[in-house]
Amino acid sequence: MIACRDNWKSEPHVARKRLAIEMGMGTDLHGQDYTKASVRALKDALWHNSLSVATALGYSRDAMQVDVQIAVAHPEQVDKQAVADVLPYGTASVKVIDGGLDIPNDDGTNITVVANAAAIVYLDITESGEPS
Amino acid sequence: MPLKRIILEMGTGNDLYGEDYTKAAVRAVQDALHHSSLTLFRTLGLDRDQMQVEITVGVQKPELLDSDEIARQIPYGTVRVNASKGGMNIEDDENATVTVVATAAVAARYDLPDEPFTL
Repeated sequence: MIACRDNWKSEPHVARKRLAIEMGMGTDLHGQDYTKASVRALKDALWHNSLSVATALGYSRDAMQVDVQIAVAHPEQVDKQAVADVLPYGTASVKVIDGGLDIPNDDGTNITVVANAAAIVYLDITESGEPS
Repeated sequence: MPLKRIILEMGTGNDLYGEDYTKAAVRAVQDALHHSSLTLFRTLGLDRDQMQVEITVGVQKPELLDSDEIARQIPYGTVRVNASKGGMNIEDDENATVTVVATAAVAARYDLPDEPFTL
Protein backbone atom coordinates (compact mmCIF):
# COMPACT_ATOMS: atom_id res chain seq x y z
CA MET A 1 0.00 0.00 0.00
CA ILE A 2 2.82 2.40 0.81
CA ALA A 3 4.85 3.88 -2.05
CA CYS A 4 8.48 2.81 -1.95
CA ARG A 5 10.65 5.61 -0.61
CA ASP A 6 14.02 5.88 1.07
CA ASN A 7 13.08 5.24 4.66
CA TRP A 8 16.19 6.85 6.14
CA LYS A 9 15.14 10.22 4.77
CA SER A 10 12.47 12.17 6.54
CA GLU A 11 10.16 12.06 3.51
CA PRO A 12 6.56 11.30 4.43
CA HIS A 13 5.11 8.01 3.29
CA VAL A 14 2.32 8.22 0.77
CA ALA A 15 -0.28 5.77 -0.43
CA ARG A 16 -1.96 6.02 -3.82
CA LYS A 17 -5.68 6.06 -3.17
CA ARG A 18 -8.56 5.84 -5.62
CA LEU A 19 -10.93 8.69 -4.89
CA ALA A 20 -13.51 8.73 -7.65
CA ILE A 21 -14.55 7.40 -11.02
CA GLU A 22 -16.22 9.52 -13.66
CA MET A 23 -18.00 7.94 -16.61
CA GLY A 24 -19.15 9.15 -19.98
CA MET A 25 -20.06 8.34 -23.56
CA GLY A 26 -19.19 10.04 -26.82
CA THR A 27 -19.95 9.52 -30.47
CA ASP A 28 -18.79 10.38 -33.92
CA LEU A 29 -21.87 10.11 -36.08
CA HIS A 30 -20.50 10.29 -39.59
CA GLY A 31 -16.73 10.61 -39.60
CA GLN A 32 -15.84 7.23 -38.03
CA ASP A 33 -13.25 9.13 -36.03
CA TYR A 34 -12.48 7.08 -32.92
CA THR A 35 -10.36 9.81 -31.40
CA LYS A 36 -13.15 12.37 -31.72
CA ALA A 37 -15.63 9.96 -30.10
CA SER A 38 -13.12 9.21 -27.32
CA VAL A 39 -12.47 12.89 -26.64
CA ARG A 40 -16.22 13.53 -26.45
CA ALA A 41 -16.69 10.55 -24.14
CA LEU A 42 -14.03 11.82 -21.77
CA LYS A 43 -15.49 15.33 -21.82
CA ASP A 44 -18.92 13.85 -21.06
CA ALA A 45 -17.38 12.00 -18.12
CA LEU A 46 -15.50 15.00 -16.75
CA TRP A 47 -18.00 17.79 -17.28
CA HIS A 48 -20.92 16.07 -15.60
CA ASN A 49 -19.07 16.58 -12.32
CA SER A 50 -17.07 19.18 -10.54
CA LEU A 51 -14.57 17.24 -8.49
CA SER A 52 -13.38 19.28 -5.53
CA VAL A 53 -12.31 16.29 -3.48
CA ALA A 54 -8.55 16.94 -3.84
CA THR A 55 -8.77 20.48 -2.49
CA ALA A 56 -11.29 19.37 0.15
CA LEU A 57 -8.68 16.91 1.39
CA GLY A 58 -6.06 19.67 1.47
CA TYR A 59 -4.15 18.73 -1.69
CA SER A 60 -3.59 20.55 -4.96
CA ARG A 61 -5.89 19.59 -7.80
CA ASP A 62 -2.79 19.23 -9.95
CA ALA A 63 -1.75 16.39 -7.67
CA MET A 64 -4.57 14.27 -9.07
CA GLN A 65 -3.40 11.29 -11.09
CA VAL A 66 -6.03 10.35 -13.64
CA ASP A 67 -6.16 6.96 -15.29
CA VAL A 68 -8.27 7.36 -18.41
CA GLN A 69 -9.80 4.22 -19.81
CA ILE A 70 -11.34 4.41 -23.28
CA ALA A 71 -13.25 1.61 -24.98
CA VAL A 72 -13.89 1.68 -28.74
CA ALA A 73 -14.23 -0.92 -31.48
CA HIS A 74 -10.86 0.05 -33.02
CA PRO A 75 -8.53 0.95 -30.14
CA GLU A 76 -5.48 1.23 -32.41
CA GLN A 77 -7.02 4.27 -34.15
CA VAL A 78 -7.27 6.40 -31.01
CA ASP A 79 -4.75 9.21 -30.54
CA LYS A 80 -3.97 8.85 -26.83
CA GLN A 81 -2.29 12.24 -26.59
CA ALA A 82 -5.42 13.98 -27.92
CA VAL A 83 -7.42 12.18 -25.25
CA ALA A 84 -4.94 13.11 -22.50
CA ASP A 85 -5.06 16.76 -23.60
CA VAL A 86 -8.72 16.92 -22.54
CA LEU A 87 -7.74 16.95 -18.86
CA PRO A 88 -7.62 20.50 -17.48
CA TYR A 89 -5.21 19.62 -14.66
CA GLY A 90 -3.51 16.68 -13.02
CA THR A 91 -1.54 14.01 -14.82
CA ALA A 92 -3.05 11.56 -17.26
CA SER A 93 -2.37 8.00 -18.23
CA VAL A 94 -4.49 6.76 -21.13
CA LYS A 95 -5.42 3.17 -21.81
CA VAL A 96 -7.54 2.21 -24.83
CA ILE A 97 -9.29 -1.13 -24.92
CA ASP A 98 -11.64 -3.01 -27.19
CA GLY A 99 -15.26 -2.07 -26.53
CA GLY A 100 -17.60 0.81 -27.22
CA LEU A 101 -19.99 0.19 -30.08
CA ASP A 102 -19.99 0.50 -33.86
CA ILE A 103 -23.41 0.84 -35.50
CA PRO A 104 -23.51 0.48 -39.28
CA ASN A 105 -26.35 2.14 -41.14
CA ASP A 106 -28.85 0.09 -43.15
CA ASP A 107 -27.27 0.55 -46.55
CA GLY A 108 -23.77 -0.08 -45.29
CA THR A 109 -22.39 3.32 -46.26
CA ASN A 110 -21.66 4.67 -42.81
CA ILE A 111 -20.67 3.55 -39.34
CA THR A 112 -21.62 5.49 -36.24
CA VAL A 113 -18.99 5.18 -33.56
CA VAL A 114 -19.66 5.15 -29.82
CA ALA A 115 -16.87 5.42 -27.26
CA ASN A 116 -17.08 4.76 -23.52
CA ALA A 117 -14.78 6.61 -21.17
CA ALA A 118 -13.85 6.34 -17.53
CA ALA A 119 -11.60 8.71 -15.61
CA ILE A 120 -10.29 7.08 -12.46
CA VAL A 121 -8.92 9.68 -10.09
CA TYR A 122 -6.09 8.88 -7.67
CA LEU A 123 -4.25 10.94 -5.11
CA ASP A 124 -1.08 10.22 -3.16
CA ILE A 125 -2.33 10.55 0.41
CA THR A 126 0.29 11.29 3.02
CA GLU A 127 0.61 8.80 5.83
CA SER A 128 1.89 11.44 8.24
CA GLY A 129 3.23 15.00 8.08
CA GLU A 130 2.95 17.34 5.08
CA PRO A 131 1.79 16.19 1.65
CA SER A 132 4.63 15.46 -0.73
CA MET B 1 -13.95 20.43 11.26
CA PRO B 2 -15.60 22.35 8.41
CA LEU B 3 -17.99 20.88 5.88
CA LYS B 4 -16.28 20.79 2.52
CA ARG B 5 -17.77 20.01 -0.83
CA ILE B 6 -16.14 16.95 -2.34
CA ILE B 7 -18.16 16.79 -5.56
CA LEU B 8 -20.87 18.52 -7.53
CA GLU B 9 -22.69 16.19 -9.89
CA MET B 10 -24.95 17.46 -12.62
CA GLY B 11 -27.57 15.82 -14.77
CA THR B 12 -30.70 16.28 -16.80
CA GLY B 13 -33.83 14.23 -17.14
CA ASN B 14 -37.12 14.56 -18.90
CA ASP B 15 -40.67 13.38 -19.02
CA LEU B 16 -41.59 13.37 -22.68
CA TYR B 17 -45.38 13.24 -22.59
CA GLY B 18 -46.63 12.85 -19.04
CA GLU B 19 -45.82 16.38 -17.84
CA ASP B 20 -44.63 14.75 -14.62
CA TYR B 21 -42.07 17.12 -13.08
CA THR B 22 -41.09 14.68 -10.34
CA LYS B 23 -40.40 11.92 -12.85
CA ALA B 24 -38.18 14.27 -14.86
CA ALA B 25 -36.43 15.40 -11.67
CA VAL B 26 -35.82 11.82 -10.50
CA ARG B 27 -34.29 11.02 -13.89
CA ALA B 28 -32.12 14.14 -13.70
CA VAL B 29 -30.86 13.13 -10.26
CA GLN B 30 -30.15 9.59 -11.46
CA ASP B 31 -28.29 10.99 -14.48
CA ALA B 32 -26.25 13.21 -12.16
CA LEU B 33 -25.45 10.34 -9.77
CA HIS B 34 -24.49 7.75 -12.33
CA HIS B 35 -21.80 9.68 -14.14
CA SER B 36 -19.48 9.19 -11.20
CA SER B 37 -18.69 6.99 -8.25
CA LEU B 38 -17.19 8.24 -5.03
CA THR B 39 -14.74 5.53 -4.08
CA LEU B 40 -12.94 7.54 -1.42
CA PHE B 41 -15.24 6.41 1.38
CA ARG B 42 -13.97 2.88 0.95
CA THR B 43 -10.34 3.73 0.16
CA LEU B 44 -9.89 6.34 2.89
CA GLY B 45 -12.03 4.58 5.47
CA LEU B 46 -14.63 7.35 5.78
CA ASP B 47 -18.19 6.74 6.92
CA ARG B 48 -20.37 7.50 3.91
CA ASP B 49 -23.43 8.01 6.08
CA GLN B 50 -21.77 11.16 7.45
CA MET B 51 -21.98 12.69 3.97
CA GLN B 52 -24.36 15.61 3.55
CA VAL B 53 -26.09 15.77 0.22
CA GLU B 54 -27.83 18.80 -1.17
CA ILE B 55 -29.96 18.35 -4.27
CA THR B 56 -31.08 21.35 -6.27
CA VAL B 57 -33.62 20.69 -9.00
CA GLY B 58 -34.67 23.23 -11.59
CA VAL B 59 -37.99 22.78 -13.37
CA GLN B 60 -40.51 25.22 -14.74
CA LYS B 61 -43.08 24.34 -12.06
CA PRO B 62 -41.08 23.63 -8.88
CA GLU B 63 -44.24 23.66 -6.75
CA LEU B 64 -45.26 20.36 -8.37
CA LEU B 65 -42.12 18.48 -7.23
CA ASP B 66 -42.33 15.68 -4.68
CA SER B 67 -39.22 16.38 -2.58
CA ASP B 68 -39.43 13.11 -0.64
CA GLU B 69 -39.41 11.04 -3.81
CA ILE B 70 -36.39 13.00 -5.05
CA ALA B 71 -34.56 12.58 -1.73
CA ARG B 72 -35.11 8.81 -1.88
CA GLN B 73 -32.77 8.61 -4.89
CA ILE B 74 -29.74 9.21 -2.68
CA PRO B 75 -28.45 5.89 -1.30
CA TYR B 76 -26.69 7.22 1.83
CA GLY B 77 -26.01 10.32 3.87
CA THR B 78 -28.30 13.11 4.97
CA VAL B 79 -30.29 14.67 2.13
CA ARG B 80 -31.76 18.09 1.59
CA VAL B 81 -33.78 18.99 -1.50
CA ASN B 82 -34.15 22.47 -2.99
CA ALA B 83 -36.65 23.09 -5.75
CA SER B 84 -36.17 26.12 -7.92
CA LYS B 85 -37.57 27.53 -11.11
CA GLY B 86 -35.40 26.45 -13.98
CA GLY B 87 -35.12 23.53 -16.34
CA MET B 88 -37.00 23.85 -19.58
CA ASN B 89 -40.37 23.08 -21.08
CA ILE B 90 -40.68 22.40 -24.79
CA GLU B 91 -44.15 23.13 -26.03
CA ASP B 92 -45.55 21.49 -29.11
CA ASP B 93 -48.55 23.58 -30.15
CA GLU B 94 -49.28 21.38 -33.11
CA ASN B 95 -49.73 18.26 -31.01
CA ALA B 96 -50.73 20.01 -27.79
CA THR B 97 -48.00 18.34 -25.75
CA VAL B 98 -45.41 19.65 -23.33
CA THR B 99 -42.07 17.97 -22.78
CA VAL B 100 -40.63 18.66 -19.36
CA VAL B 101 -36.86 18.91 -18.86
CA ALA B 102 -35.38 18.96 -15.36
CA THR B 103 -31.86 19.91 -14.37
CA ALA B 104 -30.35 18.52 -11.19
CA ALA B 105 -27.25 19.43 -9.22
CA VAL B 106 -26.17 17.12 -6.42
CA ALA B 107 -23.56 18.49 -4.03
CA ALA B 108 -21.89 16.14 -1.57
CA ARG B 109 -20.19 17.60 1.51
CA TYR B 110 -18.12 16.04 4.23
CA ASP B 111 -16.54 17.17 7.47
CA LEU B 112 -12.82 17.34 6.72
CA PRO B 113 -9.92 18.92 8.58
CA ASP B 114 -8.42 22.20 7.37
CA GLU B 115 -4.96 20.69 7.31
CA PRO B 116 -4.12 18.09 4.63
CA PHE B 117 -5.86 14.78 5.19
CA THR B 118 -3.54 11.98 6.29
CA LEU B 119 -4.11 8.29 6.71
